[in-house]
Amino acid sequence: MLCTVLAAAGCGSKSGGGQAEIRFIWWGNDDRAKVTNEAVKLFESRNPDIKVSTSFQNFQNYFEKLSTEIAGGNAPDVIQMDYRYLNEYAGRNVLLDLTPYVGKEIRTADWNQGFIGSGKLNGKQVAMPLAQNATTIVYDPKLFTAAGVPEPTIGWTWADYKQIAGKIQASTGGKIAGSTDFGGTEDVFETWLRQRGKALYQDGKLGYTKDDLKAFWQLSKDFRDAQATTPAELVTTLNAGAEQTPMGKKLSASEHSYDSLYGGYNTVRPDELKLGPYPSDSKEALGSYRKPSQLISASARTKNKDAAVKLIDFLLNDQEAGKILGANRGLPANLKIREAVAQNLSGANKVIFEYQKSVDAKLGDAPAAPPKGDGTIYKLMQRKHEEVVFGKKTIDQALDEFWRDAEEALK
Amino acid sequence: MKRAAIFTLCLAALALVLYPIVWLISASLTPVEDLVANLRSLFPGRVTTDGYAGALEGVGGESFWTFLANSTIVASGAVIGNVVSCSLAAYAFARLRFRLSGPLFAFALVTIMLPAHVTLIPQYVVFQRLEMIDTFVPLILPKLLATDAFFVFLMVQFMRGIPYELDEAAKIDGCGPIRNYRYVVLPLSRPAMVTTAIFTFIWTWNDFFSQLIYLSSTENYTIPMGLRLFIDQTSSSSYGPMFAMSVLSLVPIGLFFLAFQRFLVAGVATTGLKG
Amino acid sequence: MALAQRRSQGVAYLFLGPWLLGAIGLTVAPMVVSLYLSFTDYDLFNEPRWVGVDNYAKLFGDDPRYLHSVGVTLRYVAWSVPLKLVLALAVALLLNSLRGKGQAFFRSAFYAPSLLGASVGLALAWRAIFDTWVDTPDHALVTIVLLSAWQFGAPMVIFLAGLQQIPRDLFDAAAVDGAGWWRRLWSITLPMLSPVLFFNLVLETIHAFQAFTQAFVVSGGRGGPADSTLFYTLYLYERGFTEFRMGYASAMAWVLLVAIALITAVLFRTSRYWVFYGDER
Repeated sequence: MLCTVLAAAGCGSKSGGGQAEIRFIWWGNDDRAKVTNEAVKLFESRNPDIKVSTSFQNFQNYFEKLSTEIAGGNAPDVIQMDYRYLNEYAGRNVLLDLTPYVGKEIRTADWNQGFIGSGKLNGKQVAMPLAQNATTIVYDPKLFTAAGVPEPTIGWTWADYKQIAGKIQASTGGKIAGSTDFGGTEDVFETWLRQRGKALYQDGKLGYTKDDLKAFWQLSKDFRDAQATTPAELVTTLNAGAEQTPMGKKLSASEHSYDSLYGGYNTVRPDELKLGPYPSDSKEALGSYRKPSQLISASARTKNKDAAVKLIDFLLNDQEAGKILGANRGLPANLKIREAVAQNLSGANKVIFEYQKSVDAKLGDAPAAPPKGDGTIYKLMQRKHEEVVFGKKTIDQALDEFWRDAEEALK
Repeated sequence: MKRAAIFTLCLAALALVLYPIVWLISASLTPVEDLVANLRSLFPGRVTTDGYAGALEGVGGESFWTFLANSTIVASGAVIGNVVSCSLAAYAFARLRFRLSGPLFAFALVTIMLPAHVTLIPQYVVFQRLEMIDTFVPLILPKLLATDAFFVFLMVQFMRGIPYELDEAAKIDGCGPIRNYRYVVLPLSRPAMVTTAIFTFIWTWNDFFSQLIYLSSTENYTIPMGLRLFIDQTSSSSYGPMFAMSVLSLVPIGLFFLAFQRFLVAGVATTGLKG
Repeated sequence: MALAQRRSQGVAYLFLGPWLLGAIGLTVAPMVVSLYLSFTDYDLFNEPRWVGVDNYAKLFGDDPRYLHSVGVTLRYVAWSVPLKLVLALAVALLLNSLRGKGQAFFRSAFYAPSLLGASVGLALAWRAIFDTWVDTPDHALVTIVLLSAWQFGAPMVIFLAGLQQIPRDLFDAAAVDGAGWWRRLWSITLPMLSPVLFFNLVLETIHAFQAFTQAFVVSGGRGGPADSTLFYTLYLYERGFTEFRMGYASAMAWVLLVAIALITAVLFRTSRYWVFYGDER
């Protein structure tokens, strides 16, 4: 109460008031904070009537803080969003419907129109994609050469992968695995499903059958049986930063990942690793798609809609902001900015851009954002796969339990 | 001879106990590439102080010193709050007779058992209504109101050990409860108060959860929050500065403990308490 | 007389004032809210919806992971508390017999692990030291038990303070009677130390039931591998903050609260038989 009075008084004394204050939060590391804060400063200097306060967290703590703030009636005005969480929040009417602004206050002329849809739910634009990434195989070319096997190229199959990974593993005397076990990772499963013309979700329900998942787990088991993948105790380290994955620890020669994570790998193993396409048994479908690496939303309860929308447009479409932000969040969504950024690339960003260029023709449009409960299913898949890998359950047992819990999570 | 044997035994145990800490210090001096390839090696082949440079530079545009200052304010406020408010409450429970004494004390014990996650949202709403989010108030005020019932319990246990004859003597000398508290019980409770101060300081210093929830702008961040900003699984983590900052963040609590533990010893010795 | 009594009542409440204010505003009120929430379906964003005892029924009837988390937590408490207390007592005894200069140094040094507490850096160090253990279901819990026991500093300091309050003449008398080290430990030290032991036991038990940070950091926040470190609080957190089932999480919290209260009550009951307070002769 007192604070409101003081704040009001403060406003009054300043040039007659009218200054809008908005709060913008995101997750990420220090590098991201530096460029984002710089862009926000530029925004403030262009819009002296808007003041933006910013803060950031690491990914793990971000949503815990965000949900507490929203529950406490203190939602930030502009919110960096994750594809996987989009439905959790939008489905509860927390996010502002941006539909009336798209193509107007939020410019989209220089966008890939299909990509805009990745922020849409039930016809409402609840978020705008900030940047694009895609699934990829990160690999260590030296180990491939040493084992005398070809590096990943479009057209290689899962059988090729198994054989190649097996050869690499053998050539290191089993010290370094040929691949990182992928059976518990929903992102890999999704890519694999899309290669077979299916999807993770269809109308809010599971888009695959028990047999699909069984075949996928069997594939992962085939890799283990062929001594072509990481041992059980390395399966569990996958949801950590790049430095904690088998690849980061030099315990694996190839690992499924997202190209936008390459920066992390590159910090740990500078200039050692490359990005290649997923193996696929289908000539046409690679399975990877233009995924929004992050999205940006406004709170439904923001008191400064116009200022929030203005900031969103600025971050997405301003050339100078684009230059400052670079490829920190992935490939910029605005194609003109993407082109400009591509002009002078170096290091990790160059590798990422070149990879996307090499697979661009094969990338599909993003499917609708996963339904509520996907976060639970994501972890469930990992857990059930772990139980299989550690020999606690058979594939069939794990499958039954997965199915029961997954359907429950989607209710 | 016997003393030498005990001494050796202590040293051996110490080596074992301190191993992870030595590891941490060693890690803070190791170049990131070496660290990741072999997390288990204790002695780095190469030494670098880059981590410390990065840690002092800070994160998110704020320097380490900002975090340090914020942590110090929060921890000091918490210490003062806890020592004062908990000793007051403990005195009432341990030395005064009043109706509801039993049930209220039982209730105080129950609150120790309450998992923090449950009251989090309602508490947040309280502070939100009071417009105290993103200030240090939600972190310090609860201590001033003795919500850490653990310390009330600790002091009650301690004060019960002080001979009741002293109260009687004070009464005969004309001391009321307030002066009895101030001049008899409080001085005798110094060890318990020092213990409370030390634990409060350390726990507040290390606490992360409530700080995460209540502090929003980077300039208000404390050391544990700054530390976690070095780790992000969706981009890349800065292990060097993170390990270095872990070590740096320990220095103040180490000093605090060293400074006050003398009081602890002195307190126990001078009060000449009997069991 | 009546007036004096009323006045002393008033003074007592004066002393209790700050605590009472905090207890009502920041503890009782939130507790009542959470009790109410435990009977609702509440997703943090929309208004809670009353569902009666559904949450409680589901906990015990239809949630194998919940029962699993209870098992993990009980196992953790049963191992970590005794281990930590024995370590703390052993070191305290060792230091107590080391009179003089070295003692203060060693006490600080042994306390160092507790200072580190919940540091992220330390959790990573722990992961690195127990590299393969952390990642196998059969050993992951052991590493967290060890991590907890390693931080024996707090009970150790309290034990040591207690030991130093035992009058020396008791030991001297016993020595004259020809009692050996074990005999003195059993007949003098432990009984004299029993209030402190009880205090430590109660607190460590309560803390162990609520253990969160260590498991959260060591297991990467998800209680893995294969749910082997799915602590009660970790599961509560997952339900509440990652699945947004706050009503269900509140029900879990209340069951935990009641369970801890019961166990503490039992400990207090048994304390009559083995805890000796100096004053209650």
